[in-house]
Amino acid sequence: MAIDTGRSRLSRWVLYVILSVALVAVIAPFVWMVLGSVKSEGELRQSPPTWWPQTASWDNYTQLFSRLDFGTYFLNSTIVAVTVTAGNLLFCSMLGYALSMLDFRGKRVIFIMVMTTLMIPGVVTFVPLFVLVANAGLIDTLPGLFLPFLVSPFGVFLMRQFMLGLPRDLLDAGRIDGAGELRIFAQIILPLCGPALATLGILTFLGSWNNFLWPLVVAQSEDKYTLPVALALYSTGQNSTQYGLLLAGATVVLLPILAIFLIFQRRFIEGIATTGIK
Amino acid sequence: MTATVTAPPPVQAPPSRGRRGGLREGRAAWILAAPFCLLFAAFTVWPVIQSLYMSFTDTRQRDLRSPFAVNFIGLENYTRALSDPTFRKAARNTAYFVLVGVPLTLLVALAAAVALDRGISRFRAAYRLGFYTPVITSIVAVAVVWRFLLQPESGLINTVLGWFGIEGPNWLGSTTWSMPAMILMATWRNFGTAMIILLAGLQAVPTSLHEAAAVDGASAWRRFLHITMPLLRPTLLFVSVTTAIGYLQFFEEPFVMTRGGPLDSTISLSMYTYKQFGFGNYGLAASMSYLIFIVIAIVTAVQFRLLREST
Amino acid sequence: MRRKSALAVVLAAATAVALSACGRDDETSGGGGNADSQDISSGPASGTITVWAMGAEGEKLPELAKEFETANSGAKVQVTAIPWDSAHDKFTTAIAANKTPDVAMVGTTWMGEFAGQDALDPTPPSIDSAVFFPGAQKTTQVNGTSYGIPWYVETRLIFYRKDLAAKAGFAEPPKDWDGLKAMAKAMQDKAGAKWGMGFQAGGTGSWQSVMPFAWSNGAALTKDDDKSYNFDTPEMLEAVKYYQSFFTEGLADKAAPATPTTEPDFVSGKVPMFISGPWEMAGVEKVGGAGFKDKYDVMQIPAKKTSSSFVGGSDLVVFKNTKNRDTAWKFVKFLGDPATQVKWYQMSTDLPSVTSAWDDPALKSDTKLATFGTQLKTAQAPPSFPSWEQVIAQFDTEMEKVTKSGADPAAALKAVQQQAESIGTGQ
Repeated sequence: MAIDTGRSRLSRWVLYVILSVALVAVIAPFVWMVLGSVKSEGELRQSPPTWWPQTASWDNYTQLFSRLDFGTYFLNSTIVAVTVTAGNLLFCSMLGYALSMLDFRGKRVIFIMVMTTLMIPGVVTFVPLFVLVANAGLIDTLPGLFLPFLVSPFGVFLMRQFMLGLPRDLLDAGRIDGAGELRIFAQIILPLCGPALATLGILTFLGSWNNFLWPLVVAQSEDKYTLPVALALYSTGQNSTQYGLLLAGATVVLLPILAIFLIFQRRFIEGIATTGIK
Repeated sequence: MTATVTAPPPVQAPPSRGRRGGLREGRAAWILAAPFCLLFAAFTVWPVIQSLYMSFTDTRQRDLRSPFAVNFIGLENYTRALSDPTFRKAARNTAYFVLVGVPLTLLVALAAAVALDRGISRFRAAYRLGFYTPVITSIVAVAVVWRFLLQPESGLINTVLGWFGIEGPNWLGSTTWSMPAMILMATWRNFGTAMIILLAGLQAVPTSLHEAAAVDGASAWRRFLHITMPLLRPTLLFVSVTTAIGYLQFFEEPFVMTRGGPLDSTISLSMYTYKQFGFGNYGLAASMSYLIFIVIAIVTAVQFRLLREST
Repeated sequence: MRRKSALAVVLAAATAVALSACGRDDETSGGGGNADSQDISSGPASGTITVWAMGAEGEKLPELAKEFETANSGAKVQVTAIPWDSAHDKFTTAIAANKTPDVAMVGTTWMGEFAGQDALDPTPPSIDSAVFFPGAQKTTQVNGTSYGIPWYVETRLIFYRKDLAAKAGFAEPPKDWDGLKAMAKAMQDKAGAKWGMGFQAGGTGSWQSVMPFAWSNGAALTKDDDKSYNFDTPEMLEAVKYYQSFFTEGLADKAAPATPTTEPDFVSGKVPMFISGPWEMAGVEKVGGAGFKDKYDVMQIPAKKTSSSFVGGSDLVVFKNTKNRDTAWKFVKFLGDPATQVKWYQMSTDLPSVTSAWDDPALKSDTKLATFGTQLKTAQAPPSFPSWEQVIAQFDTEMEKVTKSGADPAAALKAVQQQAESIGTGQ
């Protein structure tokens, strides 16, 4: 990346400083959340909020883990999030490819359907969808938790836009070599979509993992709860909130997200700069 | 972009390259589209039709179990919504939020993405993760910290402003300054998502092009303008559209921080619609949702025109 | 092209048919009128019932359920705990899809709504309603019929700093409206408070701070034999004017944020008085630390005519489409039994809804709790009309204008009454 020299050294340092200041500003609430998870309830309600814990203890965490059937909720959340993410990575790239690279009858209609779904506020279809799922007998089942979300219009749109930036000539080259359409998709185009797939993977996983309202209404027995629902159980009250438990729960919930973020980012993004498109 | 691929076109075009792409492409396309179409037909079509139907009736919550035992009232819900002064205020607030918030968020995201992609070479992963943390931090923690930041006397923002001799306002308690506070908070919260998508798009710009242009003597700024931006166009369109769609439905920030106040200065269309669903006015709330949809559709169409793809 | 127009015609025809099929029958709305409810059998309960309970109650209820199961072999109680966050949404979607449990714990302000959807079963006659606090019992009554029983209650009192009040010259808490205002002013002048009273400046939920004064002035929220709203009354006007005066006279903060820092301000003495419920005792004691509980006390809402307050809490209901109605009501009856209520208080610190349970020494010995108990005798609940939430939201909005912009209370109440009449009770 050493294209420029000399004077740019100073500007590089300035950039680092600016970015670091920005980083501190941006990351502050996150740090406060993690620090807050080891504080006592009384300290958390103080104003102005304290930074370093006056008395740190793992109480909030031990309470959570002892009261919660953590394994079950974690497993449910994982199954749902992984299924939704896998489904989206596969199906959204399939349709995104068709919409960006292929010509076929109905292409416009499908694209309009995708965009329309993306633009309709979710709240208006929530109850009808729930009644539909209930009539299909999927209430209180894990499929009921993930089936409606296996393909998201957001993912289709993302993959389509990304693939539009890839050269069409690759298709022709593949066809000349005698490859079938689906093989071109799987073996030529898909490997080039690393960054987009990684991004879609992270965003989809995040959305599914943090989803609260749908699992809340679909699950009717506690063993179908996902992690966010279970954590809300112990931290929100009719008139008051248990901030310590809430922050501890929030920290626990985002650890897998951090892990996914780091894995996906490293495996796909760092690699792509070297392959080059051609 | 097509500078390096030079596969010569085949002499005899295979018969499948017809006017509409032909049978082979069509069949493959439908196989690829099948999962989406099936799931869409199963889980999206019916709820949309049902909610659309509800918006033309006087459905209340108690009618949900007998959806046909309601009166068809045509566009009455829509006209009621449009003439409701609170709905109009919410619409103005939302427009303010989107017109200022979307460009601001995109600008910050683009600056961050470019800085992380080309500007620096070390600790990239740390900065990337750090800038993404607002997206994954619990809204409760976000709310506590931002409430503190925005406090009139001891809050950080007003303290910093004080160093420059400016007396900061009572952010959350003022009808003029509550919206800017929400916009600031939303930008902070959401630029990370836009940033990582733009980063993905930037990654796909081949280094070789930049090197070639640099050898030809192009400055960094010109390279950015003439090589990066055009290639980034589809991704930019995506980020712009999805951020606008998200912001047109902004809900969490005012819900948690101000509950729509003070005096309805931060109430959003989504919040008001959600309230109507809560009151059980399903027909009216459905019509509000579809009004929001119409606005989103128009705004999206405009963006598609402006950031038109060259294909 | 022919295919497209044919398709359009078919769609249009289908839509027309569907639309013509819809229309309301002139049936009486659900949830009203019929008071004859089949009584429950004597003898032990049997079969399985599902129970939904929110939050900490949901966590602890299984213990009590086990007792019920031991007393009624053959009965099984499955408790599902659900979070308070979005619990209302969970109930409304479950009702819409007919996926309700047998028994559920329901917030008192939701009763009108759920009964109005014809989802609840009326209380059988053998469950005596006189054992409950009258205000709490009223929360179960919708359109004349009682649905379920009050399970636990809460009411609102004024929390005040005893030590700062003494400094301000008030050794005893005031008993009337003028006294309260005088104490607030004295605390600002002599005890270093910034705001004498931490009233909410309108906005969501502020009615719970205003209504106690309205009720203490004898205001009735309904008229025409409980058939319509009644906001525009002289008693209500006096109460609103009194509430507004705290803001105009600088005793309460107009610019207080939507989520105030009540506890730290109370502990530091910046805002030494506020209205809230029993849960805040734990709240302020946590922030105040050891020994703080002696520095504050609670007092009844000062009387204009009598002292009254808001009563809330949760009720227990049985859903109409339960498959095991008998056992469901037996379980509810069990939870309303005075001995069970005391035991439940010891497990959860939820205040009992049965008056005789308050004779228990555990509740009598704590002076602050005893004050809650006394207030509960006269506390009132809002009318359980299905449209309550929407109408009172209008009230909250008007109160915001009254407190923050000094709008005219009379005009505000007229506006609220107008809105209330156009929205209707929803019954």
